[in-house]
Amino acid sequence: MARMGMVFDLKRCIGCNACVVGCKQENSLPDGVFFTRTLSEEYGVYPSVKRVYIPTLCNHCEDPPCEKVCPSGATYTRDDGIVMIDGDQCIGCSACAVACPYDARTQVTQESLEKGLYGTGELTPFEKDGYKRFTPGTMVKCDFCSQRVDAGLDPACVVTCPTDARIFGDLDDPDSKPSRLIRERGGRTPLADKNTRPKVYYVD
Amino acid sequence: MSSQAQINQNSLKPGRWVKSTCKMCLHSCTNRIHVTDDGIINKIEGDPTNPSNMGKLCPKGNSAILRHYDPQRFKQPLRRTNPEKGPGIDPKWEPISWDEALDICAEEIGKSLKEDPRKILPSLEDFQKFNIWTWPYSFGNFNCFQSAGTMCGGAYHPANGYIHAAFASINDVEHCNYWINCGTGDGFSSHLHAAASSYHMANARVDRGMKVVTIEPRLSTSAAKSEEWVPIRPATDRQFALSLCHVMAEEGLCDYVFLKKDTNAPYLVGEDGRFLRNADGDIWVWDATDNQAKLWNDESIGDFALEGEYEVEGKKCKPAFQKFRDILDRCSPEEMEKITTVPAEDTRRIAREFAEAAQIGATIEIDGRTLPLRPAAFNYYRGAQGRKKGMQANHSFKMVNFMVGSIDTPGGHLGVNLDEKMIDWIRTQPGDCGQMLGEPHQLGPVPPMSYPPNEYHLLSYFPVGVNPPHLNLVVAEDPEKFGMDFEPDVMVICHSNPLWSMQGPREKWIDFMKSMRFIVVSDIIPTETTDFADIILPSHDVLESWNMTMIEPPFSEGQCLRQPATEPLHDTKSEEDIFYELSKRLGLVEAWYGVINMVFGFDQKPELMLQPDRHYTDKEFAELKGKLWNGKDLDWYIEHGHSSTKRQSRKAYRPWDGLRLNFYIEDLLNVRDNLKAAMVEKGVPFVDEWEWDDYQPLPTPDLDPIHEEPPEYDMYGFFFKDIQLNFGEGLSNPWIKDIVFRDPVHTAILMNSKTMENKGLANADIIRIESPHGGPIFGRVMGVETMHPDAIGVSNSLSRMRNENKSVNRAGGHFNVLLPYDLRNTDAVTGQPEGACRVKITRLDDWPKFLMEENESETVYEIVDHIAKGKGVH
Repeated sequence: MARMGMVFDLKRCIGCNACVVGCKQENSLPDGVFFTRTLSEEYGVYPSVKRVYIPTLCNHCEDPPCEKVCPSGATYTRDDGIVMIDGDQCIGCSACAVACPYDARTQVTQESLEKGLYGTGELTPFEKDGYKRFTPGTMVKCDFCSQRVDAGLDPACVVTCPTDARIFGDLDDPDSKPSRLIRERGGRTPLADKNTRPKVYYVD
Repeated sequence: MSSQAQINQNSLKPGRWVKSTCKMCLHSCTNRIHVTDDGIINKIEGDPTNPSNMGKLCPKGNSAILRHYDPQRFKQPLRRTNPEKGPGIDPKWEPISWDEALDICAEEIGKSLKEDPRKILPSLEDFQKFNIWTWPYSFGNFNCFQSAGTMCGGAYHPANGYIHAAFASINDVEHCNYWINCGTGDGFSSHLHAAASSYHMANARVDRGMKVVTIEPRLSTSAAKSEEWVPIRPATDRQFALSLCHVMAEEGLCDYVFLKKDTNAPYLVGEDGRFLRNADGDIWVWDATDNQAKLWNDESIGDFALEGEYEVEGKKCKPAFQKFRDILDRCSPEEMEKITTVPAEDTRRIAREFAEAAQIGATIEIDGRTLPLRPAAFNYYRGAQGRKKGMQANHSFKMVNFMVGSIDTPGGHLGVNLDEKMIDWIRTQPGDCGQMLGEPHQLGPVPPMSYPPNEYHLLSYFPVGVNPPHLNLVVAEDPEKFGMDFEPDVMVICHSNPLWSMQGPREKWIDFMKSMRFIVVSDIIPTETTDFADIILPSHDVLESWNMTMIEPPFSEGQCLRQPATEPLHDTKSEEDIFYELSKRLGLVEAWYGVINMVFGFDQKPELMLQPDRHYTDKEFAELKGKLWNGKDLDWYIEHGHSSTKRQSRKAYRPWDGLRLNFYIEDLLNVRDNLKAAMVEKGVPFVDEWEWDDYQPLPTPDLDPIHEEPPEYDMYGFFFKDIQLNFGEGLSNPWIKDIVFRDPVHTAILMNSKTMENKGLANADIIRIESPHGGPIFGRVMGVETMHPDAIGVSNSLSRMRNENKSVNRAGGHFNVLLPYDLRNTDAVTGQPEGACRVKITRLDDWPKFLMEENESETVYEIVDHIAKGKGVH
């Protein structure tokens, strides 16, 4: 069985946030909800200074703390390793958000769904259609665009990334692009000391 | 598993994909638009079949849906009922019918047309629709009230015209190994097809190991991704480029074969700065083999001398290259360091690395041609070119490439065309004495010099320029001085927001707009400028209309189709229909079509020429442009979406083969003298005020006036954009806001942390910023390590003013109000104004009153604080 994961190539990422907006489009995310983010960190002292752009999303951990603490069984792992939330089962207790060391989970509020992206209380046709997927009060996060994956497509953020900084594929396949990158360029997982065994890696 | 049976992913919902072209900036990445069976547009992706953007889209391209569904879109024609005009003052719009709106506009415009067509001030800024842009030419009007010339490439485009006979330029991403980016986001965050450029650049960087060096006062995205960031004092890039040339000339790191055979560098220049010519006008060169003067085309020449001093026909002369070397004597890295602050040893190292990477002498086979391979090139754009001595700045950057022969050759710096119109068209033409014809007028001819001036912004006094629209204000402040015999009283504005983007004091621009008898604006959402309109003519947006365009693609060529993904949401019209209806009422249709036949190049294929008795829709214009390119009809384009292919090598590489490039731009002296003579002949009183020294056939290290401002303005100020803010309005778009205001560089005035400390300032202090030319503006300061110690950097995200668009967030005033708009800071050659300024900073205890008022739209800083609490933008 496949084990789907992603590699972020930090050499390629230019911090443009096209992935973030591409994700918001694909998933009709309400204001303030992100399934993926791009952080920008500066280090060093002038003039020897650098900035690094760090994309983040749900790490789809092999040992997901969110799943362990979920009291309702809403969080589960698919056979291909994608960590999911069943909106019908979620009771919105937020225990998962607290347990997640990566701040990858958000609670969808009634307020955000009603206020809309323009904050006017009037929803655009895009939002009216898209917000149907959300149950107010439940937790949401990146699911690697699981329905696209099922249809044989890459996640939306991967497709739009102008620099191909997001590489998606089967980590169990040693010849997949992400497997090769992890091997050849020494992929590292985020907050490895948390022992959550992410399926998201960074190379630089 | 979820019990939800429905499909959640927008791109998988039942529906259809429509192939089209983006217009969230002026460029033309192709995309595909998903429309559900219910007619809702719910996903836009890049079109993977285009070799330019390869299915990629930037964040702005990804956010077009929210522009389409923006609840504040103009939904029908509107008439102002509140006579009082001002920023954020409710115009009290009244919906009216299209016929009524067009009749009113035609009557008001018609009054001026009848009295004096020069009284019409156009601001028609849709760069994907030159048929609209050039509408005023149909009544002989060359006025301009849009910022395209100044905020884009006022000097850049003419310089590219002289050097490449092209509109723009870019390094060859496919072969370049050493890429210098100076004052530009090319390949990372801005300019030519940002998503496409970023894609190809990332491949070159990561897969091929191309080295990038970025010269910038701020650690930009380009600098962040470069092997080396070279911080530089603002407005000194020209001096840096000349110091690179100094090292290469001094150490013999030049492509002498290229300079001798492919440029006019060996042409002999007399003491008057002109090429030395015989009685027939042929230019002399010096043959170093026979040690005697010969004519440029003498086949017996053994070796073209590039250096030395000679006497020919009794006149002292030097090769153009020697003239440049004389200038470079003043440009040692040590001397230039005093201006640029770039350490001399760094300059020397970079010059040597650059020349070594250029592989002088190497060749490459491409499509059956053996071409010089020069995989090192100097690239630049807005931040570096926007100088008072703009032509000299541009020329100096080109000189770095001239030295190593990396112009229009694989790996080098390549000319990029705006719209080649026909697939087989080659841009270059022969000029005088074996030289390539320099073509500085890339956007069409400049009208002949007139006095009293026919153009309110004095366009005809800048015969090499694009447009100096900031001078509208200089003239308006003292029309008598300039001998004006008319006053503009009508503005015709389409997809342009001059009140936001113009440099110079906002209150004066506001007064200028208030002085108009009538203003019509065609746009889709409220802006700073629409607040001053008398009539709004709402146009379709990019997802509802047709177009065909090729806008300066860096690595490809071809036409890109825009087609409607949905019926118009509101009672809107295409710009083509709007201007047809106006033209019909004003009796201008035939004249307008004549202009379009020329501008679009339909006159090249007579069967495509517009017929005066017909009305052409946006769809028909699209079809004609597609046919002109490759003979394919609209159905072909609807199926394929575009005719974009990789750029043909015969166009990209040495299209001028056999001609000599303009290393030495003698034409600038001709232009100068012709203008001066015309001004003297017509008795123009301000002739002595013209800064004739700006006209130089070779770039000099002479300082721009920004460096000579009063000492209390002890810092330099500049503004910047990143990819999220690239080209044009995006800051009312919730998705753009949601990413921009989370990025620290876009939420505060950036200052080097040491400088901040030295000034007794602390992070988040409120500061007042003034320049010798305007202000103040206000902001919250942030100390960073990523800024040159002499400069503050202000993001364009902090530029918006109060206006009727409730989704726009004000900040402490637009940086552009600090910029000079006077003649002293305007390039007398091109009209390019200085794009940076000197500033002084004062700490305040609190925000000024205007930012504290209740019942006002939220400020950027309020949103930033809101977000910091873990919330969204609302």
